[in-house]
Amino acid sequence: MNCEVCQLKELVSLGPPEPRQEVEHIEVQCGDVEHEKKINEKIDHFIDRVEKHPNKKNQICLSFYEVKNKQATWFTNKVERHYWEQWYINLNTVQHPKTHSGKSHHPKVVVDPGETASEERNARRTALESSLREVLFQIIKFVNEKKDHVPPIPNLDGVSFPYEITISSSSDSAFGMDMLKRMLQTGHPTMLS
Amino acid sequence: MASNHGNTNSEPATNEQIITEFFAKSLHIILESRCPYVSSRNYSGEQVLSSPSSSSSSSSIFWPRDKWFNLALKDCSAALENIDFWRQSYLEPMVVDVVLVQRSSNWDPLNCSPKKALVRNLSSKERYYWNSENDEYRNEVMSEKIIERWVVEYESKKCSNIGGGGGGSGSKRWSSTSSHTLYKKSTLLLRSLYVTVRLLPAYKLFRDLISSAQIGMYNLGHRVSSFVEPFTHTEEAEMQRFVFTPVDTACGRLCLSVLYRSSISDVSSEPSTPMSPQFIPDYVGSPMADPLKTFPSGPLPQGSPSFSHLGRRHSWSYDLYKASPPSGIPSPSPSYSESHATFAKPHSYRLPPTGVTCHLPDETPQEHVKNTNYDEYSPSPNFSMSPSPSPPTYTPGIHISNALKRSESAPVSIPAIRASGIPPLFYNQMLPPSPPLRPSKSSLAKMDCRSTLLQAGSTVDKIFPFGKDEAGRLTGVKISSNSSPQKSISRSSSRLSFPDDYDESEFSGPFVVDEDDMTDPGSRMTI
Repeated sequence: MNCEVCQLKELVSLGPPEPRQEVEHIEVQCGDVEHEKKINEKIDHFIDRVEKHPNKKNQICLSFYEVKNKQATWFTNKVERHYWEQWYINLNTVQHPKTHSGKSHHPKVVVDPGETASEERNARRTALESSLREVLFQIIKFVNEKKDHVPPIPNLDGVSFPYEITISSSSDSAFGMDMLKRMLQTGHPTMLS
Repeated sequence: MASNHGNTNSEPATNEQIITEFFAKSLHIILESRCPYVSSRNYSGEQVLSSPSSSSSSSSIFWPRDKWFNLALKDCSAALENIDFWRQSYLEPMVVDVVLVQRSSNWDPLNCSPKKALVRNLSSKERYYWNSENDEYRNEVMSEKIIERWVVEYESKKCSNIGGGGGGSGSKRWSSTSSHTLYKKSTLLLRSLYVTVRLLPAYKLFRDLISSAQIGMYNLGHRVSSFVEPFTHTEEAEMQRFVFTPVDTACGRLCLSVLYRSSISDVSSEPSTPMSPQFIPDYVGSPMADPLKTFPSGPLPQGSPSFSHLGRRHSWSYDLYKASPPSGIPSPSPSYSESHATFAKPHSYRLPPTGVTCHLPDETPQEHVKNTNYDEYSPSPNFSMSPSPSPPTYTPGIHISNALKRSESAPVSIPAIRASGIPPLFYNQMLPPSPPLRPSKSSLAKMDCRSTLLQAGSTVDKIFPFGKDEAGRLTGVKISSNSSPQKSISRSSSRLSFPDDYDESEFSGPFVVDEDDMTDPGSRMTI
């Protein structure tokens, strides 16, 4: 079975992202208690990771899978998961530079530090929202173009196919190995750069 | 195989049902996020329908799972009221215009003549009208602008093998676009639509409207019709197009696209602080203004809309059209009742099979127009002034047929919004219908579904699949020709979501085929 993989455009955030904050009135609720809880846990995990390792490139991988071959083997009880779609969300958090240095280029100009910081924050937020919107449209485009690989809609009361979220960063030694492992599991899809 | 033949026989009916429900659901998705006066009732957050097993906070809102396409939505009576026509025939496109109604802050009462204020700018699709209420001290100019145009249509084509009678190639063709595949792809498309309506700029306006009970400078309305006046080149140049990848069926394809303005976000930056009513001392007609430039307090001259509480003699849209020459709207024909009635025409305009339903952001009762039988068609007094492309209102004595009523395209007024704090100013806003023009083939072609995406592009690294050896395999979904999807779900609830093997005799989706149903001719949809 084929697996569709999508590498989304990298999002750059200055400073740690503010989780769960509404961005441009984009509703960020899932609507299902269990999924909300699972996603929130991952978000918290991601925030912790970012705070501990600033200035690192981070990647969130959202994988959708089907459960195959539930029979347990002698060595493992793991069920086989066949991934049919994977999304790689690249987030680059950069520690935002200090806005005020010791000397000002314009000593005669009185600058209100509060206003400047607020304006910069708004500008950064606007830029991030614009990037986020662009990525969301990218997702919509991909979802619309590729539908054949999607399994039948599950008849669950929940909202989603089975999925898993993994977080990795460029500092992880397993960063690349994790990706390679998934690629092997999904049957050697061709990676386009 | 015999089962294949049985399944094949029910495929067209099931496909039709899916397509019909797709129209309904897409309209619901669009209006739910653009129609503030209905949604505001559900938006308070106080209506929390939590699942029995949840112990979540009240901040989350959980809605009952909608059976169709597994997409739960808030109540939207506007969508329900408008969809009946397309339930009967999805062959007509469904065009949803989202209209921004703004109070003009640049209106100069001293320099504005009534006619000037009331002329409809056909080229820009902006309409200005004079809003005069009982309070003669408040004369303002309202403008409306179409900020989004959603088009949902089913492009039919010759079915290569309808009925699937015999032959291996025929059954294979059916399997490639079988009902469960169509259902799956429609579900994905609707989810994309759900996200897209919330990403476009108009959603921000909608959210501002429903979250703020304060007086604002704008409001949102909508129109639903099967034909609208196409945009001019200039207008279209100002808008961006987003085309969803069509969903193919055996006999056509479902297409969805939107034209939207990307530069409306600054509207919401208008001050939304509460505005206390205030007198405008130099209003037109006051002693302080030019005494010669007075607006009549009585009935307005022909060609001018009247939004007075005193009632109107004409719907302004009709009058304007009447004043417009050759590109104007032809008189409605008494045969409008027919779903494909044609006008007496100089132009090959065709009356849309259904009235355009104009939903207005106000609910102030107004008197019925005397010269129309629109009353019987539109129980809401509001809409007596605003005939839609339902043309009967244009000519006195035209009876609106029962067929039109049957299509249930009657405009229904928006419930009173006084509770939300929106001032009477907006109560008189009328969204006149688009003229019942049928765009030419070439202009319709503009709205044809293209798989190209014109949105801002980003790099997408994709891994192409090996092949599709298993993608086309059926997944064992039982398709129910029963019109009630709830029944289907109850049957399938015990099934696994992912069957180990793709088995046509089992099912994993919301659709369940009951073999008894397949032989029931009564369950088939007829168009």
